[in-house]
Amino acid sequence: MKKIIAREKLPELWKSLSELGPLFLPVQEGPVVLFQPWQEGAETNLDTTNTAVPPKDLFLPREETYMQYRCKGKELEVIPAEEVKPAVLFGVHPCDLYAVEMLDKVYMEQDPPDELYKKRRENTTIVALSCASPDPFCFCNDFDVNPAEAPGTDVMAQLKNGSVLLEAKTDKGKALLEQAGDLLEDGSGEEFARREVKTADFNLKLDGLPEDLKNRFEDPVWDELFKSCLGCGVCTYVCPTCYCFDVEDFGHEAGGERFRCWDSCMYGHFTEMAGGHNPRPGRKERVRQRFMHKLRYYPETFGQIACVGCGRCLRSCPVNLDIVQAIQALGGETVEQR
Amino acid sequence: MSSVNVLLPQQATILDITEETPDIKTLRVVGKEGLPFDFMPGQCAMLSIPPVGEAIFSITSSPTCRECLEFSIKDVGKVSSALHSVVPGQQIGIRGPYGNGFPVDEMKGKDLLFIGGGIGLAPLRSLIGYCFAHREDYGKIDIVYGARSPADLIRKSEVQESWAEEPNTDVHLTVDAEFPGWDKNVGFVPTYVSDLGFKPENKIAITCGPPIMIKFVLQALEKLNFTPDQVITTLEMRMKCGVGKCGRCNLGPVYVCKDGPVFTLEELNALPAEY
Amino acid sequence: MAERNLDSVKKIREAVSQDLLGGRISQVLGWEKGHYWWQSRPLFARSEADLEKLTWDSFCVINLSRYLLEELKDHEKVGVLVKGCDARAFNRLLQDNMVKREQVILYGLPCPGMLDYNRLCEEAGAVPDGIVENNGTVVLKTDGGEKEVQREDIMLDKCRECVYPDPAAYDQMLLSPQGEREAAERFKPVEELEELPADERFAYWEKELSRCLRCYACRQACPFCSCRECFVEQENPRWQGRAYQPSENFMFHLVRAYHGTGRCIDCGECERSCPVDIPLQELNRKLIKDINELYGDYEAGLDAEAEPPLLTYRPDDPAAFSEK
Repeated sequence: MKKIIAREKLPELWKSLSELGPLFLPVQEGPVVLFQPWQEGAETNLDTTNTAVPPKDLFLPREETYMQYRCKGKELEVIPAEEVKPAVLFGVHPCDLYAVEMLDKVYMEQDPPDELYKKRRENTTIVALSCASPDPFCFCNDFDVNPAEAPGTDVMAQLKNGSVLLEAKTDKGKALLEQAGDLLEDGSGEEFARREVKTADFNLKLDGLPEDLKNRFEDPVWDELFKSCLGCGVCTYVCPTCYCFDVEDFGHEAGGERFRCWDSCMYGHFTEMAGGHNPRPGRKERVRQRFMHKLRYYPETFGQIACVGCGRCLRSCPVNLDIVQAIQALGGETVEQR
Repeated sequence: MSSVNVLLPQQATILDITEETPDIKTLRVVGKEGLPFDFMPGQCAMLSIPPVGEAIFSITSSPTCRECLEFSIKDVGKVSSALHSVVPGQQIGIRGPYGNGFPVDEMKGKDLLFIGGGIGLAPLRSLIGYCFAHREDYGKIDIVYGARSPADLIRKSEVQESWAEEPNTDVHLTVDAEFPGWDKNVGFVPTYVSDLGFKPENKIAITCGPPIMIKFVLQALEKLNFTPDQVITTLEMRMKCGVGKCGRCNLGPVYVCKDGPVFTLEELNALPAEY
Repeated sequence: MAERNLDSVKKIREAVSQDLLGGRISQVLGWEKGHYWWQSRPLFARSEADLEKLTWDSFCVINLSRYLLEELKDHEKVGVLVKGCDARAFNRLLQDNMVKREQVILYGLPCPGMLDYNRLCEEAGAVPDGIVENNGTVVLKTDGGEKEVQREDIMLDKCRECVYPDPAAYDQMLLSPQGEREAAERFKPVEELEELPADERFAYWEKELSRCLRCYACRQACPFCSCRECFVEQENPRWQGRAYQPSENFMFHLVRAYHGTGRCIDCGECERSCPVDIPLQELNRKLIKDINELYGDYEAGLDAEAEPPLLTYRPDDPAAFSEK
């Protein structure tokens, strides 16, 4: 099912879709573009390259309260949070969905599945937007990400001469387009343009890197690489494939809630145990953990490197210490480049 | 496929509390109807006490005990400290069981050497109880247990009386220094293990205790010609989810909460030493 | 490619290599080029080969003094290249007794102001292939041709508003001083905010801070955030909750800002480091402005000997709280 709509009519489409549940799409928030729930008059931006923060927030929210508790005398009552409501994610780029696929492996395919994540995934209809022009930080070419196709999307969309062409890829996608009804015109005669996006090509040599790293835990590379790291959590929070979380209580003795929220392996307290022992006590151990997780541990379990080349760490690290630098330092670049 | 959020705790009630040492208490905990869940020795559970939070503890009772779960808890952090102030009848949250547990089937037909230090006896005790309940499956059992002082030994009467009376079982106690009235061994656990001169033939050694003790116990066992596949230990790391997602206990390609906490020394040697 | 000032780079390399190869210091903190011509990243040079990578261009924005907190654990004595703000950051650490003066050789680099990648792109209408710097102007080169712009117009905000581009502390001044810049209108956004009614100010900050990811980049990049243990990580009591709630956002940013009162050197590294562009300098500048008004003009980090106003007591200090 293919449909087409003129760009100037998009706000009407969004209004209609937002009746299904919150509609998240790229919105200009001051100087940055973020996925935000659409509301009348929102300054949407479909021409943006990657948003400052990836849309993983929709499935693994920054903060998610999953139960309330009440204590009365010696009694403890646990009240599960309400069911997750349907949502729509509109305008997400393919690279971010390649990353969601990686999160799915951890949160849905690996036993036990994470019901909180799974419900959000199942209740979200995704409209992916093929990528037209990368920014200079994008390097998805190194990861064979197809900028015109997004894995697992319900609808594929493309900006086309003042219009948006939409094609349903799943039943959920069909239902979404049907919801829009007459707002959409028949697009069956339209073709998706082939996209060939030329991103920064660092010539990363990734084949065999996970295997090569098996014996490089004590490699001197780690003694040098971490030095510029400030120990903040930017890289992990802007990374679409980072998924660590924390669980905390908020409230008082009589009642309150328990929530989970993003956490980062770059923080000292992340692994610090009661009593003070910390298995990863310094920046070196933590930098190594993060890159080894992306480049060696995740691939060993799931068969692929946990990076899609979205470029957010290249753009956002305050000291320009990013995964490309790590891969290069570890020798994962072509012989010609070295 | 159940569609329950695995992070949701169920209610459990404190039956009673035993003060083991100045900083260790044993809580007996029961679910709504008997045991909150079935488990195997070496597995753990998340205990929670709002609004302080959740922490993971090894289950110290044997799965053959059907009345309740037992947890020996040392007062070292926020949650453990809060659990030290609970009273009988009080409800707490519990979820689990987590982890792989000890390889009780592979251990069948072998002699077993348990080496515990301080609170490290907690996970071993679950397995020891299980082995006694299936006594015919296992050979000779030696239990080496030590602490800083006699006052720091947990489950004292059980260890010295019940266990020592089990058939084909020897209990070897030690404390770090001389104390009035102490007539058993004096010295560190690893030294005592060397002195006792255990033979590795057809034997599995299972050790748990403070990291420094484990380090030297492993050296002592190596000198006694135990091979890495004959040595089993259990790791302790910070955990939040217990199901291999939250990332804290990630150690190389494994998650200690899910793939551990029980590892043979052979398996541990293949992992980064970040524990 | 960004054109490097080859003479300056040569001069800097010569000066630091004398001390490094002569054994007076065991490491030099400087900059090297990153992946892109518009990025220069920290360099930890310990050999002649390392020094080959040393660069000095219009993108050496990262403040290096902060690294001393870690590097002095492993090195007896190190050299640091310092711009105006880096030198003030060094003085800040000195005043907090976090470093010892004799452990560090400071190489002063008067700073022409660092350029802003986003502005370059905006002005050029695309990502430029490179730039050529002239005196006061910059030529942006793109596929479509060249465009000459005023250097001032493509500088980072924080550099445009910088008053002290010359290092206030140094052992050797390696290049010619820039001289004090005209006092920019750096308090203007603060004054505009002060004009607003309280509820509007609250709404403004609530919205801006709602983007906060709690990544703590602002804190980690900050030369006044040198506490060995930050209140954020303290467990008992737990001051800072982990939830992404307005109250927690305010808790973090306001407590951090207050900890910086009279200590913030206004280097703007917090705001530059923020991945979601929260205008953090406005918070800090509000407090700088208040200090100036209450205790007389004070520029933190400019003079390591000058007593920070909140660390001294004078009988005639204003006591606004008790008088009200």
